[in-house]
Amino acid sequence: MQIDPVGLSLVLLQQMCVYLVVAYLLSRTKIFIPLTHATIRPPHKLACYVIFSLFCIMGTILGMPVVHAIANTPAIGAVLGGLLGGPLVGLAVGITGGLHRYSLGGAFALAAGLDIVIQGILGGLMHRHLIRQGRTRALFDPLKAGALTFAGVLLELLIDLAVAKPFDQTLEIVRLIAVPELIANSLGAALFMGILIDRRALIERQSSLFSAKALAIAARADGVLRRGFNQENSMTVARIIYEETGVGAVAITDREKILAFIGIGDDHHLPGTPISSLNTLEAIAHNEVTYADGNEVSYQCSISPTCPLGASLVIPLVGEDSDVIGTIKLYEPKTKLFSTINRTLGEGIAKLLSSQILAGRYEQQKALLAQAEIKLLHAQVNPHFLFNALNTIAAVTCDEPEKARDLIGDLSTFFRMNLKRPSEIASLAEEIEHVNAYLQIERARFSDSLTVDIDIPDSLGRVRLPAFTLQPVVENAIKHGTSQQLRPGHVAISAREDGDELVIDVQDNAGLYEPKPAGQGLGMSLVDRRIRNCFGPSYGVTVASDRDVFTRIMIRVPLEAASK
Amino acid sequence: MITALIVDDEPLARKELRRVLSKADDIAIVAECSNAIDAIGVINREKPDLVFLDIQMPRVSGIEMLSMLDHERMPHIVFLTAYDEYAVQAFEQHAFDYLLKPVNQSRLDKTLERLRRDREPQKIGQLPGANQLRQIPCFGQHHVQLVRMEDVEYVASSISGVSVVTTDGSELPTELPLHILQDRTPLLRCHRQHLVNIDFIEKINFLENGLAEIRTRRGQIIPVSRRFFPQIKERLGIL
Repeated sequence: MQIDPVGLSLVLLQQMCVYLVVAYLLSRTKIFIPLTHATIRPPHKLACYVIFSLFCIMGTILGMPVVHAIANTPAIGAVLGGLLGGPLVGLAVGITGGLHRYSLGGAFALAAGLDIVIQGILGGLMHRHLIRQGRTRALFDPLKAGALTFAGVLLELLIDLAVAKPFDQTLEIVRLIAVPELIANSLGAALFMGILIDRRALIERQSSLFSAKALAIAARADGVLRRGFNQENSMTVARIIYEETGVGAVAITDREKILAFIGIGDDHHLPGTPISSLNTLEAIAHNEVTYADGNEVSYQCSISPTCPLGASLVIPLVGEDSDVIGTIKLYEPKTKLFSTINRTLGEGIAKLLSSQILAGRYEQQKALLAQAEIKLLHAQVNPHFLFNALNTIAAVTCDEPEKARDLIGDLSTFFRMNLKRPSEIASLAEEIEHVNAYLQIERARFSDSLTVDIDIPDSLGRVRLPAFTLQPVVENAIKHGTSQQLRPGHVAISAREDGDELVIDVQDNAGLYEPKPAGQGLGMSLVDRRIRNCFGPSYGVTVASDRDVFTRIMIRVPLEAASK
Repeated sequence: MITALIVDDEPLARKELRRVLSKADDIAIVAECSNAIDAIGVINREKPDLVFLDIQMPRVSGIEMLSMLDHERMPHIVFLTAYDEYAVQAFEQHAFDYLLKPVNQSRLDKTLERLRRDREPQKIGQLPGANQLRQIPCFGQHHVQLVRMEDVEYVASSISGVSVVTTDGSELPTELPLHILQDRTPLLRCHRQHLVNIDFIEKINFLENGLAEIRTRRGQIIPVSRRFFPQIKERLGIL
């Protein structure tokens, strides 16, 4: 066979094409993904090692025997392995490829094997150099890869000359293969790197598109379902998903009926109607995603035979304890394919919506709990108060039947006011009536040892505030204040305007307030919390106290109660 | 006659009880008190046979008051309460009985009947460690002060009565006798007329005849008698 550098170059370039076709095909698979990043994770390093060792061996096998040597392209695998995987991977690829080459024998066996190891190390050293300089992106530069491989092959030829014997023969061979090998290897490495960065750009473009869509949906749908999983809110969310994803149609269902439907086919898919699709019922029953693409799994609208929708994706919405609370459905018409992005996105959206619905239910429960706390508070307080009131009435019945009659009237007023639902808003006048009824009984109970002053202008009687605001505060002043001291107790209740606020002061002369006494904090903090919930954080209850001198509770509410 | 004291912070409740008791000819109400601290003084002075004691009262509850009384000369205690959640605790304190308010005439009659049969002074079992006082009630000119144990330097008894001396030097008279304070506080008896808080002992000077004296951190000198010296040495770990 006539061997000349030009012919050899062409043969090697042909080989390289086979080589690159294999590389291109591999780049369409998942195993290529780790190669597109400078990685430090051991599994990725391992993948890097395996793939480039295979390329290295392939380069050797595809080589062409030239006298006692082989003109070939293992340098690409070794250099790129080192460049992308680092010194250790480069060394490992080099040793693997080198041993393989050595096992094939020939006068060049030892030299050629050594070459591959050196090339692997060369790639690895360049990797380390670029990483240390923080130029990670430069690792993927096709020009650099080509130049480095060029240098690797030059080194190879020098080693061949130094190691292989006899020198004359070696020189002859090197002269023959030098140019073809330099061209084929450098070009091959550069093109290989080109395939890699193309692949990477594709992945990045896909994921950035995906993230952008996901973020847009998350931002627009934020908090909507938190306000309740109903038709109105579902419609809002469905519209957002429909607009952002560009799918044919979007539906949201609970376990029984369609809550929202928007897009193609909304003439016969009507919100409020029961679910009829078997796919959906199956998704709810088994808590699993069902996908009918219209090709492999046939899809036919369960309502109308002429419905243009041709594919559906049903994703369950999962609530507490993995219970399915509904589904979200994406549709494409028969004329369009379901994009992978929208499929994945659909599952992400379902997770987002599930957690929103859960959060909404949690908040609702919290609100219910707060109301229950108030009821509990009253249930705890009233028996004691009732016992004391009845004892007081029993004590006056004999000597002062008229007074007993009045006290029974006060007690009845007090309990009537207590029956108000805690969420209600009351006027200040009503609150004072409640407090008065309470105070009549307490004053009878403590006689001379309790005096009370109330100074509230009639003009303020119409100001609105949450029911059960004033009475618990006054009760605290007596129960934990005046009744706990040895000298006579005094409580002063007053109200005044302060700008656009109403300020109510309740002051006792005991001064026994402690920031967190057992049993007292609950009532006070509840009053505070309810005012803040109602009117905002700038209102509420504040406390001032001087030990053994006074405790003053200040309640601030807006004069013009724009209650929510 | 059976002498009785009514202790309740609610005037109407006292009046009501007095009314119900008026039907029993052999009961003489010697006094009414509106708080536990006044009551301790009255009990120590008047030594009534029977005390009707409300549980929920300002500062010192009826139950707490029991631990401030001399167990050797204990009156019969009948607790009064509007809620029976305190009943179990009341009996643990060896109350003679307890009545729910409003007091029912026939229920009260039963209590009094039982009392007439059993006029023996009430036996109060002394459990070691139980009935510990957290604070000592002391009387000032116009007020009552509750002194916490960690503020007491020493207690001295004299002809005029028992005084609590606090770490800031004030001397406050108390109704509680020395032996009750000795039994129910961590204070240490060092002399016939003195109890000392060992946390404030700075120095012990040995004198002739096996006598000694204690010097407190504040420089006060308290005598130590021969009889109590060995106990003090033991408590302080002196061999």
